[in-house]
Amino acid sequence: MAPARLATSLLGTLRAASTRPAIAWRQRCLYHSYDYAQPPPFPPAESAILSCAYAHVPSHGFTIDTLKLGARDAGYLDVSTNLLPRGVFDLVNYHLVTQRLALQNNVQFPEEGEQGNKMGVGAKVRKLTLARLRANEAIIHRWQEALAIMAQPTYVPVSFAELARLADEIWFLSGDQSVDSSWYTKRATLSAIYSSTEMYMTQDKSANFVDTEQFLDNRLQDLIKVGGFVGGLGEWLNYTGHSTINLLRSKGARI
Amino acid sequence: MGESRCFSCSVRQAQQQTPPPKSPQGRPQTTHFGFETISEALKEQRVGAVFSSVASSYDSMNDFMSLGIHRLWKDHFVRNLNPGRNPLTSSSSQEQGWNILDIAGGTGDIAFRMLDHASTINHDAHTKVTVADINPEMLTEGKKRALQTPYARSPRLKFVEANAEKLDMIPSNSIDLYTVAFGIRNFTHKEAALKEAFRVLKPGGVFACLEFSKVNNPLFDAVYQRWSFGAIPLIGQLVAGDRDSYQYLVESIARFPSQTEFSDMIKDAGFLVPGKGYEDLTNGIAAIHKGVKPAEKSL
Ligand SMILES: C[S@@+](CC[C@H](N)C(=O)[O-])C[C@H]1O[C@@H](n2cnc3c(N)ncnc32)[C@H](O)[C@@H]1O
Repeated sequence: MAPARLATSLLGTLRAASTRPAIAWRQRCLYHSYDYAQPPPFPPAESAILSCAYAHVPSHGFTIDTLKLGARDAGYLDVSTNLLPRGVFDLVNYHLVTQRLALQNNVQFPEEGEQGNKMGVGAKVRKLTLARLRANEAIIHRWQEALAIMAQPTYVPVSFAELARLADEIWFLSGDQSVDSSWYTKRATLSAIYSSTEMYMTQDKSANFVDTEQFLDNRLQDLIKVGGFVGGLGEWLNYTGHSTINLLRSKGARI
Repeated sequence: MGESRCFSCSVRQAQQQTPPPKSPQGRPQTTHFGFETISEALKEQRVGAVFSSVASSYDSMNDFMSLGIHRLWKDHFVRNLNPGRNPLTSSSSQEQGWNILDIAGGTGDIAFRMLDHASTINHDAHTKVTVADINPEMLTEGKKRALQTPYARSPRLKFVEANAEKLDMIPSNSIDLYTVAFGIRNFTHKEAALKEAFRVLKPGGVFACLEFSKVNNPLFDAVYQRWSFGAIPLIGQLVAGDRDSYQYLVESIARFPSQTEFSDMIKDAGFLVPGKGYEDLTNGIAAIHKGVKPAEKSL
């Protein structure tokens, strides 16, 4: 897939979202209203198979074999993996969705107002983004397989949409409640920073991923310095676009 | 036994809600044969006659109906189900191979593909297919074709004459994968067939159906209707000398429920369906429907 194509589909996703900002915003609010338990993101049988399969990802990767092992563990058969219409992509999606939803409980901020150690929105965004990246630790050595699956043309739009949802979640949990036009800029920029850092992390060999943490901080610094939407987007495409294509090429795809 | 009799009663009741036939009162149960309304017993006979008369020209018929792409659909159908148990990646203590039942399998088309896929893609030399068809002539054609494959005299391939609505010779909870390709629209009681499928499948087993369906693009639909109603019976006449059989086939396709209706029937039979329940092929000329029999744990 050419980078131009990636760019078009990303812009397509953004544009589609921007035609219904009011609805999107309202859903966001409903979705985040703390009074209601969230509906389970997957139906029970799918959930059972996927959660069992997820435990096999570190050893067997994002593969059909992992799904079959999960099906067996959940009391199903190899053939029952047909319950997942998108196959291994459903497992990738499971990781993305469950880790996004887990952020809310995994990250706590110190009580505000005590001894003036109130965290700013920026610091919260950093903390949340880092927490989400750390949720990849157990499977990071397998994450390039997942990225290659997400880069398949059929799954690119869904993958971008999920990335946007993650950015929304992080901004929301950080307490940024603005409904102005900067919302789309923020979403796009954070999406870009998140995915380039994640790509960096797949190649990071440093102890406890300190290099990844540094990489994230540098990107956030750039954001503050340059602050531009277009800048962030361009860099994201350069980095992720190229690495994904190189990865696919290394797997023998003719692109 | 008693249970299945009772079920077919309820199916009959359901069928009475379709527009009443113009025949005199007090007549036996009726059903559809293409667009004609006829008695149920007669339908079984007439369907039999259609397939007896097209058994040998069968491939050309499928080619006309599918604009030549039924082979690709079948390839996709089988590849996507990914039959077979790879000995390299699965623990050896488990049972070996899948037990597949191919209903209305007539010419063996699906069965050979399943066995090929299991053997070459999954290195599985144990997966078995039972081909069941109501029509002995189709089975004869299938056995003849099997001679050209490595499976002819192996225990991996079996042919049985059976009505999909009453699979008494197949034990309950014994099948991993039940397939039916271009067959179900010919069944007199589709609900009864679904119920039998549910019974014979193991918990976690999969029902998979490939069938002509409803074209979802209005313009393309108009063109396809013209083609199927106008040209196919005529070609049937020219190629196979049998206009009526081909007319029936075209009409039976047009009568078959839409994708969502059929998916609801699958759910009503007790299956879980993946995603929206079906996948359209070539604009909905055909569709693949799947259902998974729930395992105990998730009931
Ligand atoms: C169009 S052919 C499909 C053959 C093959 N599955 C394929 O895809 O090429 C339909 C088959 O359904 C069989 N059939 C019709 N009614 C049936 C029933 N009630 N039970 C089992 N088979 C039936 C016919 O005998 C015929 O062989």
